[in-house]
Amino acid sequence: MNNKKVGLLAIGMCLLMIAASFSGCVETETEIEIKNPDTIVFYTIGDPKTLDPADAYDTASGEVIFSIYEGLITYKGADTETFYPSLATDWSVSNDSLTWTFNLRENVKFSNGNDFTAEDVKYSFDRVLIMDAPESGVSWILSQCMDTNSTKIIDDYTIEITLTDPYGGFLALLGYTVGYIVDKETVEAHGGVVADTENEWMKEHAVGTGPYMLDHWTHKTEVVLVKNENYWGGWDGKHVDKVVIKTADEPATRILALLNGDADFAYIPYENLEDVEGEDGVIVQPYDSYDVVLVILNTKSNNAYLAEAEVRQALSYAFNYQSAIDDAYIGYMSRLPGCIPVGMPYYETQNNGVPVYDYDLVEAEKILDDAGYTENDDGYRFNATTFRIFYNAGNAERLKMSLSFQQELTELGIISTVTTEGWPQLLHRMFATSDWDIIFMGWGPDYNDPDDYIAPFVGSADIGQDTYNTGWKNETVDEMILKAKYTTDHEERSDAYQTAFDIYIHDPPMIFIGQRQYIRPMRDWVQGYSYNPVREWYWYDYYKE
Amino acid sequence: MKTWEYITRRLILLIPVLIGVTILTFVVSHVIPADPAMHFAGGPKAQPETIERIREELHLNEPVLVQYFYYLNDLVHFDLGKSYLESRPVTDSLAQYFPATLELTIFAMLISIPLGIVGGIISAIRRNKLSDHITRFIAIVGYSLPIFWLALMFQYAFAYQIPILPLEGRLSIGVSAPPPVTGLFVVDSLLAGDLEACGSALYHLLMPAFTLGFATLALILRMTRSSMLEVMGADYIRTARAKGLSERTVIFKHALRNALIPTVTVSGLSFGALLGGAVLTETIFNWPGMGRFAASAVIGLDFNSVMGFTLVVAITYVLANLIVDLLYAVIDPRVKLGGV
Repeated sequence: MNNKKVGLLAIGMCLLMIAASFSGCVETETEIEIKNPDTIVFYTIGDPKTLDPADAYDTASGEVIFSIYEGLITYKGADTETFYPSLATDWSVSNDSLTWTFNLRENVKFSNGNDFTAEDVKYSFDRVLIMDAPESGVSWILSQCMDTNSTKIIDDYTIEITLTDPYGGFLALLGYTVGYIVDKETVEAHGGVVADTENEWMKEHAVGTGPYMLDHWTHKTEVVLVKNENYWGGWDGKHVDKVVIKTADEPATRILALLNGDADFAYIPYENLEDVEGEDGVIVQPYDSYDVVLVILNTKSNNAYLAEAEVRQALSYAFNYQSAIDDAYIGYMSRLPGCIPVGMPYYETQNNGVPVYDYDLVEAEKILDDAGYTENDDGYRFNATTFRIFYNAGNAERLKMSLSFQQELTELGIISTVTTEGWPQLLHRMFATSDWDIIFMGWGPDYNDPDDYIAPFVGSADIGQDTYNTGWKNETVDEMILKAKYTTDHEERSDAYQTAFDIYIHDPPMIFIGQRQYIRPMRDWVQGYSYNPVREWYWYDYYKE
Repeated sequence: MKTWEYITRRLILLIPVLIGVTILTFVVSHVIPADPAMHFAGGPKAQPETIERIREELHLNEPVLVQYFYYLNDLVHFDLGKSYLESRPVTDSLAQYFPATLELTIFAMLISIPLGIVGGIISAIRRNKLSDHITRFIAIVGYSLPIFWLALMFQYAFAYQIPILPLEGRLSIGVSAPPPVTGLFVVDSLLAGDLEACGSALYHLLMPAFTLGFATLALILRMTRSSMLEVMGADYIRTARAKGLSERTVIFKHALRNALIPTVTVSGLSFGALLGGAVLTETIFNWPGMGRFAASAVIGLDFNSVMGFTLVVAITYVLANLIVDLLYAVIDPRVKLGGV
């Protein structure tokens, strides 16, 4: 045998070996047994920034804090409309909506064995206001209606909170992590409260009254929670002893972890969902979330055409909503009628939840023609001015929507460019320059009240809002936002939101695209799971069998 | 020049290298028009006071040159600043991620160096025979296959279809990390006498270390082979054979020693490069090392983290080069340290 033949034979053998090692790739799936039956394992992206409820303002931190600490009120299962007792057993409010009285739960202990009392509640709220969330700024949620004189201890198990202004969303904000209760004794033993300064110990450690306590947190790797034997809710019934939240950046790794049963839940991007859908033992169930998708329009751009309401109306008609739903979000998105997502209180004040704008290029053309923005001889409108569209790098859905929108604008005779930028660069452009016209953005809930959406979206800079720096302002809308904020009367709030909607929807500072559906594919052996858009994870409810 | 004088001189030379590296990285990372402070403070939801506080902490309102001197001042006080993305000191992040990468690199090199050298020798002395073809084929595969593809295929084959190896991570669920001494889980678990953790750590190292080492193995194999072939044709080898020395003595005593110089160079530089973190391998195997840390720091413009990472990589490279130079003298006594 000559050398060439030997070489070919060698290569052939090696290929055969490789093929043999992958021979199982075809249809060899068998039923997998439940792995780690006493542990829930969640493969996700993102690492918590802090475990201190007074400074946490990101999803990954919330996923952990919601099960370690507790607030005075809570949510149950998928119900977003009812406030349930947690560390408070019941509450009442004065006629002027300013003074709230909470009766606290007795015989509650922190995970270290310390008793929970009204002292801890006052300490926790005052701590948020004094510390002023130096890392995240999340303290605004409490400081918008409370100061350090607000909370008074009546007795060991009664507190009274007097608001600086009445606030319709007050109970809802107590359900967010910034309103969660820490152990005074523990915090005092580890640095106490220093104004405008973060507490390093509290960032990495956690002592709460919730069902789980922190076993360890290894940055960018995992957070491990174990059950808190002191939990007042007890451990009767079915629960898991341990929760492991793993940070895994690579989607393929998370997909395989779910398929081989290492993961009970996994975060899978929309574009990869088809890799796990229909697989044995995997459930892919979409839920309506409060995560909204928006196209922000810059009314103070150096492209002055965007200052005109008609132009923004036309753009709202030029957006292909169904394409965004079908192509970018693979069907996992529904339409958003206005600022307030469907499902949140008062969403029906927005044309009964029916979107005003639909994809209609003829209507868009008509509006522009009527406003005098006709096509020139070359077929371009706006004197061939270029509309600049941006989205943040790495966001596959926004890339698809940007390109689709660009195509629609071309049909309308509008020249546009699509540019991707890193998040810090894009923020700089949006907030420090006028060099942008259209930016794709998103928003998620802080707490379950429409004020958390309508105020930042269409409130002007004059009332401390205009979160997206659109420059848009309407005095009546501002007035209605403040009116709705400072009342607890349902009718009054409803009327105010409706009036605001009727104005801003015809002079839109943004295109209201849709509400993303929330999907965390899971193994079918997980029981007790329900999705709540305000508190995504509550590990105590889940078990495996 | 004595060895210690040579080492001292090389270490002193490290200072200008580091200054150069910090200037370059600092300028490049700071000239991009961006708002990292707003990004760290939470994006559009950020409160203006929080953004301003971070800007002041990072001296972002000052000219770049002034910012650099602030940085240099902190650096000489061994303060690398705070990682805003991780919300903790950069030194804490480096102390966690560097040992993880070091452990992975050491095991990758433990796989690739011996296999590469042995494969290279076999390939050379059995030139154009079957074993030569096989080893050359392996080398070509190692060179040409993208590492992420290899990693994904290994995962798919050995953690899913034939689940004999763990999918990712450093330890199994339920196994606690050993008390940190070196940060290398294998070493620390042995020091703590925790054989379960040691076994789990080794088990988790297999797939990522082999994946990472595969490309280096290919490089070392090719380098050793060509170097051996060159040496085997030299006059002194013919002389050695003519003296009647056994083939084993000729290969291992006369040829290999001379042929190893380029292999040592390649191994040393590869070691230095891998210590900088293998982003793809670390990401796919979810290995909490320098590569993942650096990638997220660069994307998020976390200046302090980028600078800290760059410093560590620069120091590692210089030290790896120094060790390679010292090894030359050990392997070949004709090499004089510090000579021109």
